[in-house]
Amino acid sequence: MENISRRKFIKLTGVGAVAAAHSLSRFEFAHAAGPRPLPPGTPILVIVTLNGGNDGLNTVVPYLDPIYKSLRPQLAYKEEQVLPIGDGLALNGSMTGFKTLWDNKQLAIVRGVGYPNPDRSHFSSMAIWQSASRTPIKTGWVGRWLETQTENPFLAISLGSTMPPLFQGDKRSGTVLPLSGLKTPTGMLAADYAKTSKKTKLDGQLSATAARSIRDLFTVAEIVSPILKNPAPPAADLPTAIGGNAGGESNLSAQLDVAAKLIAAGVPTRVWSVSLGGFDTHANELSAQSLLLGTVSTSISKFMSQMRTIGRSRDVTIMVYSEFGRRVRANASDGTDHGTSGPMFIIGERVVGGFHGEQPPLNQLKDGDLAVTTDFRSVYGSVIEGVLYTPVDRVITGWNDRLPLFTA
Amino acid sequence: MTFVVREFSLKRITISSVNSSERMAIARLVHRIGFGPKPGQFRKMLKQGFKVSARQLLNSGLPDYGDIKTAIGIADLGTQPKPNSELLTPYNAAKRAQLRNMSLWWLDQMVDQDFPFVERMTWFWHGHWATSYSKVNEPVVMFDHIARLRKHAIGDFTLMCEEMILDGGLIYWLDGQLNTANSPNENLSRELLELFTLGVNNYSETDVKEAAKALSGLRVVKSSGLVTKDPRRSYVGTSTVLGTTGNFESATLARFLSVNVACQSFIPERMTYRFISPASSMMSIPMKPSERAKSSAHIIKKAFATRQILPTMEALVFSKSFQDPTNSQVKSPLEWLVSVLRALRITPSTCSQPDLLLTLLDTLGQRPFFPPSVGGWPADEAWLSVASSQTLIQAAQLIVSQGDLSPLMAVAKKERIEALADWLGVAEWSDRTKVALDGALRDPARLAALAICSPEYLVNA
Repeated sequence: MENISRRKFIKLTGVGAVAAAHSLSRFEFAHAAGPRPLPPGTPILVIVTLNGGNDGLNTVVPYLDPIYKSLRPQLAYKEEQVLPIGDGLALNGSMTGFKTLWDNKQLAIVRGVGYPNPDRSHFSSMAIWQSASRTPIKTGWVGRWLETQTENPFLAISLGSTMPPLFQGDKRSGTVLPLSGLKTPTGMLAADYAKTSKKTKLDGQLSATAARSIRDLFTVAEIVSPILKNPAPPAADLPTAIGGNAGGESNLSAQLDVAAKLIAAGVPTRVWSVSLGGFDTHANELSAQSLLLGTVSTSISKFMSQMRTIGRSRDVTIMVYSEFGRRVRANASDGTDHGTSGPMFIIGERVVGGFHGEQPPLNQLKDGDLAVTTDFRSVYGSVIEGVLYTPVDRVITGWNDRLPLFTA
Repeated sequence: MTFVVREFSLKRITISSVNSSERMAIARLVHRIGFGPKPGQFRKMLKQGFKVSARQLLNSGLPDYGDIKTAIGIADLGTQPKPNSELLTPYNAAKRAQLRNMSLWWLDQMVDQDFPFVERMTWFWHGHWATSYSKVNEPVVMFDHIARLRKHAIGDFTLMCEEMILDGGLIYWLDGQLNTANSPNENLSRELLELFTLGVNNYSETDVKEAAKALSGLRVVKSSGLVTKDPRRSYVGTSTVLGTTGNFESATLARFLSVNVACQSFIPERMTYRFISPASSMMSIPMKPSERAKSSAHIIKKAFATRQILPTMEALVFSKSFQDPTNSQVKSPLEWLVSVLRALRITPSTCSQPDLLLTLLDTLGQRPFFPPSVGGWPADEAWLSVASSQTLIQAAQLIVSQGDLSPLMAVAKKERIEALADWLGVAEWSDRTKVALDGALRDPARLAALAICSPEYLVNA
């Protein structure tokens, strides 16, 4: 199995010796994660974006609430169809993997998450979530975090083909890794591009960035390509129905498999971004959404099991969000239209499992919509400090609130 | 329509009289105000000098397009058939075909015209009034949206505002049809103030609410973009915007905002951002009168006093900032692709894989008709990433293999590095790139693939 040796990283990236990780304090530690294998014990964040606006009320279901039943006659789940977790709430019946995580106190559910004056446009709302700003700004919050760190093309990796706005920085951005890996020219052309992308003192800032993006391509490809040929780490402690490799693998699972391979090999990535689409359920919501939530639950459970197999389960935190929740009242097509707040999931062994934030009461709707009881930036704040070990206001200017989501 | 391309010999003419700053200025001109040189154009511009070349480009106008919609089959597709209808498949196919045709038609104009200045400006305004097909979802509505921008692209900004605020695509994109007297939606109102006319911090939340009243009651026919005002849904009475009370409606409000003093700064700043550099657009105007008169920002803003776009662009092109060596800029993916296609004489709609070009722009994040948000496309570093490098390098090899390399073939090997710079309109190769090019002199395809992915080409000096 191909692993990264520290020497190989240093050779490929030209970075010299760095102080031994165990002697560093918490914050120094976070800043020392340069291009060398990620030391065990370094926290890793996996951001899972659910595109389309997930219906929070049928994800964390207030199945006992008579208003829920009356506003959604065809769309309300009955008690025997859901997985009760207390407080009159239950997980969608397809989320058995999440129920196990909940029982093991490794799942935090933050209720009623959103932002002030909800915007019902997918685009604007996603821009707000990814920039962590209520007014339009060009950078994403992970992009801004990257700029507080020593430069390293592995630090944040998004799996897919295009850069999520989340990863956009002002001067540099995260790395986008297509699921199929990176293809680089070989032979003569490779040598050619190595020459045109050489560092030179005469470069202006932009030319230097252009040269670096080509150098980084070859650096990242050289390290990543052999690793992607490895089999994904096994999900050893799960029944094969969940952990097995037999057919029907979802794209989310495929993205997480790539992340698992690279984490197993020691790639120094602190932030991963994966996503799943299809949550815009304006019609025939029940079957479509439960299929998707089943995929989320199964893929993440399998990933956590893979992390246990390779000994990184204590390091990994997963954060799941969507751009908005949906209207409380069902529409005329057995679906729901764009709404406001929804639950967020934070998963990991260092997470304080259980409920956080208030459940938006169904008898106090505003224009038929759920109230926002927790600002999403408070969740980000906890994650930025608790996982990325960076002061919140260096990433989200002027924001100081956070939730007690992590054990000390 | 056809465009006559005059052939210029690429045999090295002595242009020793052209100093390096003039060469850089002309390289900027041809890449930023046009879409890069066609073969021979850059050398001709060097001979003409910056001033003559700039005037030629700025005054080039548009060819007579005739009835484009009929020519390429853009039409109202009517209401979308029900989910289970057998009409749905042909309806979706027609939609895809129309979107493809209008995308390739626009790219053709950018690539084939000798002096595509008006299309360059239309492209700029597309990023300014950034409206996306991803929500509008109707080819004809997006086509009309861009046609309106083209109509005013170098004309009167006030007239542009009056017409755009009643554009069906823009209204639908910003939920303007949901904005009624009883249930206001401020999306369109806010962006009109913040992104289209005044700029952030130049209005209050009250102004947004008041402007929303003026914009209320509009209906949009989704499939055609036809806009009507429904008196029953419209706010009745006066509204007070920026301290002025009146019976504002969409067009009067847009006119009122466009002549506001904040607009006179904001639009020149946006032009400076795109055509000079994002950093330079932030520069403040010096207070001292003697310095003030010479400041580029002041001169460009002054030119916009009449809200005429062409004179403002002229002031910008002839400003000191335009030639300031520190104001380099990354070519955006569309600019890169179009300039490469121009150099290689590849017409998008008739090349062997037109759809691949659209996919390429999509992968790189800058497909026409699909700005990522109402804020438009990003700039500079945002376009430089590991994934984009991979895509550019792969695309370069493929595109070069289908292009016309005669400008390189025609010259002796030892002259090819210079010929390459003139062919592509590159101001100057760095020493490291020269080393790489030097090793590839024998193979024009390899030379070209290397050159168009070099830092000197990815960045407009």
